[in-house]
Amino acid sequence: MQTFPKQEVVAMLLAGGQGSRLGVLTKKLAKPAVPFGGKYRIIDFPLSNCVNSGIEAVGILTQYQPLILNEYIGNGQPWDLDGMHSGVNCLSPYQAIKGADWYSGTANAIYQNINYIERYDPEYVVILSGDHIYKMDYNKMLEYHKEKNAACTIAVIDVPLEEASRFGILNTHEDGEIYEFDEKPEHPKSTNASMGIYIFSWKELRKYLTDDAELENSSHDFGKDVLPAMLNSGERMFAYPFEGYWKDVGTIDSLWEANMDLLDPNVTLDLKDIYSRNPMMPPHYISPDANIQNSLIADGCNVEGNLEFSILFSGVTVGKGATINSSIIMPGAVIEEGADVQFAIVAENTVIGKNAKIGQSPEEVENRDNWGIAVIGENTVIPENAVVKAKEMIDSEVTAK
Amino acid sequence: MRSNDVLGFIFADTLDDKVPELAATRTMASIPIGGKYRIIDFVLSSMSNSGINNVGICAKSNFLSLTDHVGSGSAYDLSKRRSNLTLLTPYGGKNFSNYVEIIYNMHGYIEHCREEYILISPGNVISNFDYTQLFDFHAKHNADITFLYKRRVVPAGYDRPITFDIADDGKVKQVFVAPGNTDEVVNHVCGTVLIKKSLLMEEIRKALSLNELDIKRLIQKSVEKYSVYAYENKGYTAVISSINSYFDFNMDLMKKSVRDELFNPKRPIYTKVRDDAPSRYGLDSKVKNSIIAQGCVIDGEVENCIISKGVYVGSGAKLSNCIVMQDTKIGADTKLNYVIIDKDVTIKDERSLMGFDSYPIYIAKKSVV
Repeated sequence: MQTFPKQEVVAMLLAGGQGSRLGVLTKKLAKPAVPFGGKYRIIDFPLSNCVNSGIEAVGILTQYQPLILNEYIGNGQPWDLDGMHSGVNCLSPYQAIKGADWYSGTANAIYQNINYIERYDPEYVVILSGDHIYKMDYNKMLEYHKEKNAACTIAVIDVPLEEASRFGILNTHEDGEIYEFDEKPEHPKSTNASMGIYIFSWKELRKYLTDDAELENSSHDFGKDVLPAMLNSGERMFAYPFEGYWKDVGTIDSLWEANMDLLDPNVTLDLKDIYSRNPMMPPHYISPDANIQNSLIADGCNVEGNLEFSILFSGVTVGKGATINSSIIMPGAVIEEGADVQFAIVAENTVIGKNAKIGQSPEEVENRDNWGIAVIGENTVIPENAVVKAKEMIDSEVTAK
Repeated sequence: MRSNDVLGFIFADTLDDKVPELAATRTMASIPIGGKYRIIDFVLSSMSNSGINNVGICAKSNFLSLTDHVGSGSAYDLSKRRSNLTLLTPYGGKNFSNYVEIIYNMHGYIEHCREEYILISPGNVISNFDYTQLFDFHAKHNADITFLYKRRVVPAGYDRPITFDIADDGKVKQVFVAPGNTDEVVNHVCGTVLIKKSLLMEEIRKALSLNELDIKRLIQKSVEKYSVYAYENKGYTAVISSINSYFDFNMDLMKKSVRDELFNPKRPIYTKVRDDAPSRYGLDSKVKNSIIAQGCVIDGEVENCIISKGVYVGSGAKLSNCIVMQDTKIGADTKLNYVIIDKDVTIKDERSLMGFDSYPIYIAKKSVV
């Protein structure tokens, strides 16, 4: 058997969820593969964090619509994760002698890949999720984990008290030791929200995963089953306070907001050292008729229209007289002449016909509850002069009707 | 004949001496161009896209930027089990000034490669060319040697240009080595040629033994002995042979027809990848008719410019008709017109520099203005 050099840390990235709250954007795409920030996909952030923290072995657990994600990760070369005996692997559910199982929960996904982890004989395992935008040095968190001699360390971020009830809250003693998990509490006792980033000492995690797998009524989930079981058994569990930009992009609104944050000079997230697979396209061209303010533009775009507070991914075409405001236009989309796109997300290779009107600004909507980001799914053709209202979600199946 | 039976061979320092400023610290082939490319990217990508697997690049000096840029060739898909990119730098301390000796000096490499044919290209041509057209033409006419030519006025910088008199079927009737340039449109040959390796090396050895070291004379004589053909490249082609042609090519990229032809998505132009973020336009930016690469921050005004990777344009700055190479910083309220600015330059606040369209000013790499 081939032997693998020992890795102190192995990262496991949970990328199998459907991300149903992203609607048409994740119809044919796993959530971590959703485009972000003009040239990235969400997964570039945790992957780049791993590499920048010196983690050389990364397993990506895939299950829902993995085609694009698998293709994008490829051999891992853009992230330097193509080592001879380490690197990145996409791990999908498989058939074994006992039978075939889908990943029934986050903990089960790791349990089914114990073999993958053990090849590297690691001391620690980092569990990450594929739906957060942040830059973090996992090494510092690992140092903290070692210093506290913990079995499990969970990264937490300070959230405003009024928002704390939307998060999983960790209540800790003064030294950071966790004594209670409070999932979406009505009356939060603290503002330490879990970021979904865990470091485990592998020996302990292995034991709890194996025990959990035996339990018939367990949902095999880290947050619901494994972490509470560890706490109840009196394991040393610590909260690691993280300071910096962090955003969950699991919903249309938060995905849009996180993109818009890149245009805000007061936001501290900088895209340096975030790696991605680069499409081979020439630099973008701005025509004499274009007007561009406060926007991000990637390679291969051709802009003849007006752009404000917007993000253009690679290879986007914007026709003469078209107006794009506070919107995200994903790779290869075409916005034809005179179209008006506001507060919208337009997915890959979609065509917005001439003079079509997509989305509305909050001021244009009488009842603010009806306002939201308009979303056009991938490979959709919006006909000329069509109108898509705020908060509407359209994809090729809708337009076919 | 199949493309994988052709060895690609590029001279990286063609006409280096005609752009002394740009080539002061690099070869002709590795001069930055078009916002994110180096000149050699066009030939290398064309070769790779035409199915050539093996490419040698010959450079006599100043090759650090070239080796840094092309690396192992993986960006061009030329670094796999059966494909290779090899940099041929002068070995044994030998440095020759004529092509006969240079090619002979590379005989070890050329003869070692398994391909039967060799496609030689100069390092100053910009074109997205499908060489399989040339291979098919060569095979169809059962030619010994096939040159690529372009109908044009010989560009400034070619001191003794080679021009052809060509029959209707493409057979070369006569080879002229003109003593000077005229405004006449001619069949200009700038060095791209397809030939069997064995024939090339036989002729080079013969020429060496007779001490005939002028390759142009050799080409003239070959017409008498061999079946020599010429194939016209009808597509967009630029050759860099002066600072003006460098400037003009960059400005040509503002034309949609030129971009569409050079950057055909079915035949991409590859280059070394850099992980730059998308470019950011500030609240007061004003950009018209310009090519902008990634990683830039534009807070000022930019018109008719090529802005390369990682450039910063400060607020209130006004750039027109400029070519700005990578990672240069341009301070606030600075005015620049017809200026070519090399890499890593810092132009401080409130500076003012003006060139003219026939005489762009050049600012050297890493200068501080």
